[in-house]
Amino acid sequence: MLTKIAWRNIWRNKIRSLVVIIALALGLWAGAFSSAFYEGMMKQRINDVIESEMSHFQFHEPNFREELQAKYFISGAESIEADMASAPHVIGSTGRVVATAMMGSANKNGAAKLIGVDPEKEKVVTKLNEKLIEGDYFESVSRNPILISQKMAESFHVKLKSKLVLTVQDLNGEIVASSFRVVGIYKSGNGMLDEVNAYVRRSDLPSIMSLDAQDYHEIAVLLDNHDLAEPMAAEYQEKYPNLEVKSWLDLATGMRYMVEAGSTFAYVIVGIILIALLFSIINTMLMAVMERTREIGMLMAVGFNKRKVFMMIMLETVFLSMIGGPLGLLVAFLFIQATGTNGIDLGAMGETYNELGFSAIVYPELALESYINITVMVFAMAILAAIYPARKALKLNPSEAIRKI
Amino acid sequence: MKYVIETTEVSKIYDGVVPVKAVDEVSLQIENNEFTAIVGPSGSGKTTLLNMIGGLDRPTSGSIKVNGFELANMSENELIDFRLKHIGFVFQSYNLIPVLTAKENTEFIILMQKIDKKLRDERVEKLLKEVGLGDKMNSRPTQLSGGQQQRVAVARALASKPDFVLADEPTANLDSKSTENLLDIMARLNQEEGVTFVFSTHDQRVIDRARRVVTLVDGKISSDERR
Repeated sequence: MLTKIAWRNIWRNKIRSLVVIIALALGLWAGAFSSAFYEGMMKQRINDVIESEMSHFQFHEPNFREELQAKYFISGAESIEADMASAPHVIGSTGRVVATAMMGSANKNGAAKLIGVDPEKEKVVTKLNEKLIEGDYFESVSRNPILISQKMAESFHVKLKSKLVLTVQDLNGEIVASSFRVVGIYKSGNGMLDEVNAYVRRSDLPSIMSLDAQDYHEIAVLLDNHDLAEPMAAEYQEKYPNLEVKSWLDLATGMRYMVEAGSTFAYVIVGIILIALLFSIINTMLMAVMERTREIGMLMAVGFNKRKVFMMIMLETVFLSMIGGPLGLLVAFLFIQATGTNGIDLGAMGETYNELGFSAIVYPELALESYINITVMVFAMAILAAIYPARKALKLNPSEAIRKI
Repeated sequence: MKYVIETTEVSKIYDGVVPVKAVDEVSLQIENNEFTAIVGPSGSGKTTLLNMIGGLDRPTSGSIKVNGFELANMSENELIDFRLKHIGFVFQSYNLIPVLTAKENTEFIILMQKIDKKLRDERVEKLLKEVGLGDKMNSRPTQLSGGQQQRVAVARALASKPDFVLADEPTANLDSKSTENLLDIMARLNQEEGVTFVFSTHDQRVIDRARRVVTLVDGKISSDERR
């Protein structure tokens, strides 16, 4: 009967209840969708970092990442490559020669990060070949081909077949220069990387930099499962104590914080919305209690104890919230499904995001766990919202309440 | 002798800038099966006395016993439970729950006593028929006239088989016909089923039908007339 009374009570003032339900639904839709947008963006960024930039973990000589000098190459790279070839969950691994370079065209000189890759292995690990928008993948020129980004091409005023002179430090610290021919122009979707990364064949560098063919500065490993990155990095760190083995979470600046803060951010957004809605529900329920002073007084007079009165107000609030909340989540779910499939093109803003390493098209997505947690948060908010109005109702003196008009 | 209601030198003082003594040392005994009207002008203390007898308000001094139970010694929760089991209330403004039907309004009191559904249904239907609303069981208060709503309130008051029914100005909002109708029902319940009624009223039609009239003036009993 208590449930029946509470349920019917919320429909006594249909407009007021509907306003609260719609406010809740809209609030949660906005909260869930913005969380999904953020999660989608983060997930894409994580995938980009892993699949296009860092892979799951990398081997380096311990000083290399800090000093970027040619002499800090990985010793024993062959045994690592052999290990990776037979290790479970490894999709691919590739060794690279990396050097900071001064790149010069007929019009401009500027800094670049020269990355010497094994073209075939790089296809597997970073799908570099799929990012080409012009030209080919180290194929049309046999001597010193180079791939540069569209951004670099514009900045250095070069095009396919143009010549670029790259100046680097060799193994002995001597400055050496060599010319390369642009065979391909790529666009990675990460503006920051496109600013500096230029790819050459690894096999072209030893002669320029006085390196041996097996002198790599980094070995990147791609796995079939993101979750294995950290444990496997730790495992190989133990196996190769003289090297530095780091997972993508430590290699990409800010990624660990981003991943850890990701779900917190979603709950903070929903939490803020729920706090705003909390006051709206408190206000509505307070009005409902004040309007029904006489009725609540009568209930207490005829034998409704405090627990029952409290429960009645609590149930009314929970009913209101649990209609609006799931309704908002349902709309959010449909919206997320639709935009998650087609993506949201950020248009002009996308360029800015792109500069920061984020994709210009976002595919929102929200994990089932988040839907469940948001529902629990709504339920908790409803209980919290009911406390003050319910306490107000409990403080009514039945003999005074009954006489109130 | 054991009384249904027994007040001994009950007083109620309302604090304020000037304290008001609403009820002044009233001693009153009401026996089973009485049909008593407490009358008096506005401000004479009728409602205050009724509220204290019903356990809705506590006296400043004195003792109130209902069927031998001292109300002053009961906690708030004990009083609520006591009211549920021992006292029926009929209020001036009917005070039905608008979202429940006549049947549900009558039933919810006994529901709280956890009585078997079959017995509950039988009792509710019998009561509503007795107050002449057998055909209005599924009507909500807004679909009933004032008189009909007050009859539902009487059925609700009797649903828990209370020791007595307290009715505060039950006819104040009713027209003559509804008043007569309600009084007929209450008188019949009193005579045929032995229900004890105590009214506060200044409605002459109620006073005329009462078998005992206790008059309050300035919080004191000025006369107690049995007929």
